[in-house]
Amino acid sequence: MTGLKGNGAVAKPNKLLGNGRLGEKEWIMKRKIGQWAKTVLPAAALALTTSVAVAQDNPDTLNIGVFTFTSGPAAAYGMPGKQAAELMIERINADGGIGGLPIEAKFVDEAQGAEGVISEYRRMAEDPSNQVAVAALSSGNCLALAPLGEQLKMPTIAWNCDTHQLLLNDRLQYTYRPNGNTIPEFTAFVAYLLERNPDVKRVAIINPDYSFGHDAAEIVKTAFETFAPDVEIVAELFPKLGASTYQTEISRLSSARPDAIFSNLWGGDLENFVRQASPRGIFMQSQVILALGETVLQRVDLPEGVIVGMLGDGYWLSPDSQANADTVAFAEAYHKRYGEYPVFPAMKMANAFVVMKAAIEKAIDAKGGEWPTRDEIAAAMKGMEVDTMTGHVRIREDNDGIVDQVIGVTAKSDTYDFKVIADMVRYDGDVFMAPIDEEPVEWIRTLDSAFLKALPKPGSYK
Amino acid sequence: MLNSILPLLVDGLANAALIFFVAVGLTLVFSVLRILNVAHGSFYSIGAYGAASLGLWLVSVGANPWLSYPALLVSAALVAALFGPTIERLLVRWTYGKGEAIQILVTFGLFLILEDLQRMVFGVQSLYQDTPMTLLGVTMVGGVVYLNYQILLIVLALIVLIGLRLLIKRTRMGRLLAAVVADREVSEAMGINTDRIFMLAFSIGVFLAALGGALATPTTGVAPGLGAETMVLAFAVAAIGGLGQIEGAAIAAVIVATAKVLAVYFVPALDSVAPYLVMLAVLMVRPQGLFGVAETRRV
Repeated sequence: MTGLKGNGAVAKPNKLLGNGRLGEKEWIMKRKIGQWAKTVLPAAALALTTSVAVAQDNPDTLNIGVFTFTSGPAAAYGMPGKQAAELMIERINADGGIGGLPIEAKFVDEAQGAEGVISEYRRMAEDPSNQVAVAALSSGNCLALAPLGEQLKMPTIAWNCDTHQLLLNDRLQYTYRPNGNTIPEFTAFVAYLLERNPDVKRVAIINPDYSFGHDAAEIVKTAFETFAPDVEIVAELFPKLGASTYQTEISRLSSARPDAIFSNLWGGDLENFVRQASPRGIFMQSQVILALGETVLQRVDLPEGVIVGMLGDGYWLSPDSQANADTVAFAEAYHKRYGEYPVFPAMKMANAFVVMKAAIEKAIDAKGGEWPTRDEIAAAMKGMEVDTMTGHVRIREDNDGIVDQVIGVTAKSDTYDFKVIADMVRYDGDVFMAPIDEEPVEWIRTLDSAFLKALPKPGSYK
Repeated sequence: MLNSILPLLVDGLANAALIFFVAVGLTLVFSVLRILNVAHGSFYSIGAYGAASLGLWLVSVGANPWLSYPALLVSAALVAALFGPTIERLLVRWTYGKGEAIQILVTFGLFLILEDLQRMVFGVQSLYQDTPMTLLGVTMVGGVVYLNYQILLIVLALIVLIGLRLLIKRTRMGRLLAAVVADREVSEAMGINTDRIFMLAFSIGVFLAALGGALATPTTGVAPGLGAETMVLAFAVAAIGGLGQIEGAAIAAVIVATAKVLAVYFVPALDSVAPYLVMLAVLMVRPQGLFGVAETRRV
């Protein structure tokens, strides 16, 4: 750049005009702008810093951003999250808010794509009145937002995204995930299947065509190689995210004659797949495992005996949930307002609010009752242990949460007109969690069949 | 051996049937109006939404479930009657004789408007109406369970293909269409009302797209984005077959669908790109498409 040296000093202008160089007038103008910038910008920055401090000292409301899918096929999964957030905000505010402040939330639709989500997050984080981001649903968005959270010092609660890549390499200060990750979530399904159907020899996989689907396939294949090396993967399909039809994939699955079919399709994709696969006999032909199957139980009539889960412990009808009066009241209030009981994305969101509330209250206590800064809210989450609405979460040093894994099979209910989950097992959260700093997929290979035998059995969680 | 090939064949033809309805409408509109209608996929999704809504309404009022079949046809006809003449008169007509860039920009703008309108009217959640699919039951082909509805789609696509050819060859309307395609000015000089022919051709195109959407409804979920997904595939089919070629569209639909099915069966990683790889290969050898010959009469 002509006129500016590498060390920032301003060089004299080159009197030769043209060929892209500055003329005298332009140079003078630049100098003036530079001088103005030197005096005015620091003053503006000082004013801004002061206003940040003021905003953090005496906020009137607790402003947060909540990121989820509210449109498109993924909204079938994202909307329960939004609805749970609305209900939790209402309940917390009715109870006096957090630290005496009512929550005010801005909802951001993740369906606009990563670029839009990043812009919204940046805009929100740059406004000092916003104090926490509950973001995001999509693993891709979480991966994109985490470095931004560090840069903009925004406490971020990854309320849903599961990818084990999120906290694998970087030690983050501001992003926390009070859930499990893909390693325990999908390894647990293999353990459950092999306990329930030990004779499985042929397995097919149908997952969405992005990191969540491919990571899950790798984890499941590694778990089979470890626990049951004689299992053959006979088909591996990755239909694109948001596909409207799965008819060809269903034919392929059917012709491969698998004993079991594993899938982590989700949202509208899962609903679509189930509606199209069911009449074509897929559920009769093979033992189907729908890792996120709990989300469709109230919408689609799944056959009995399908292995379903909820990527964690977020089942509103689990024994622990039913033993918690708060959870029962929440589920009833949710049903009354939205006409459905809260599926696990709703419970995950509700649990994220429980964690956020606990973290802010912890930070307020640590500061002797004063309102904490963003840094202090983020720091409060480190190593925190919280009783959630569906169980318990412990946040590790790497900011990843440890939650139990609940899995079962679909069964008829005497109480509800939709299938519920029976023959449940509740695996301890840390059983399948790879230790910090170990490559998690490789860690699965260190397990053995003795490890599998020591696990609780299907039907043991009552 | 036959048992292994039969599922591939049925899947290929069932997929081709649905793509054909959209692609043939696109190619028909191009051959008569000489515009590449980017909004064509929106009529597919509007047809799907219309059929799903009408079907769900019939279910909700406890009507005979077999009425869901005529409902598919009726919804497509309603979409064509409502959108065909209106859009042709108010918007598309304005682009006749203009540059291709203008035509594409105008129809792309229309596509965006129609996509947003669908979100406003039908919401963002997926709609499902599978009554026609469940009524017909299933058939075992090559050891794989298929919906009889999928077989019906193949038959319907053949009927539409033959019907279109008969319409053009054997009816007065078809001859008028052919005359306008051959030479608009001479047709006008001969007293043919070309404005009416254009409106008619556009409406038939809308009907075919809407029919494709309506017929797809029982086996797919209807959600925002369906139109764009289908449109891109229809463009590939129309390009491979040669723009303006009805039989070309049918054969190209089979080629594209077969490529996709083979990818799902044998190279799943190429599933999404397989149709476009075929398109690329065809256009490199024959830029005018397999059946697109400049000298021959279109339609």
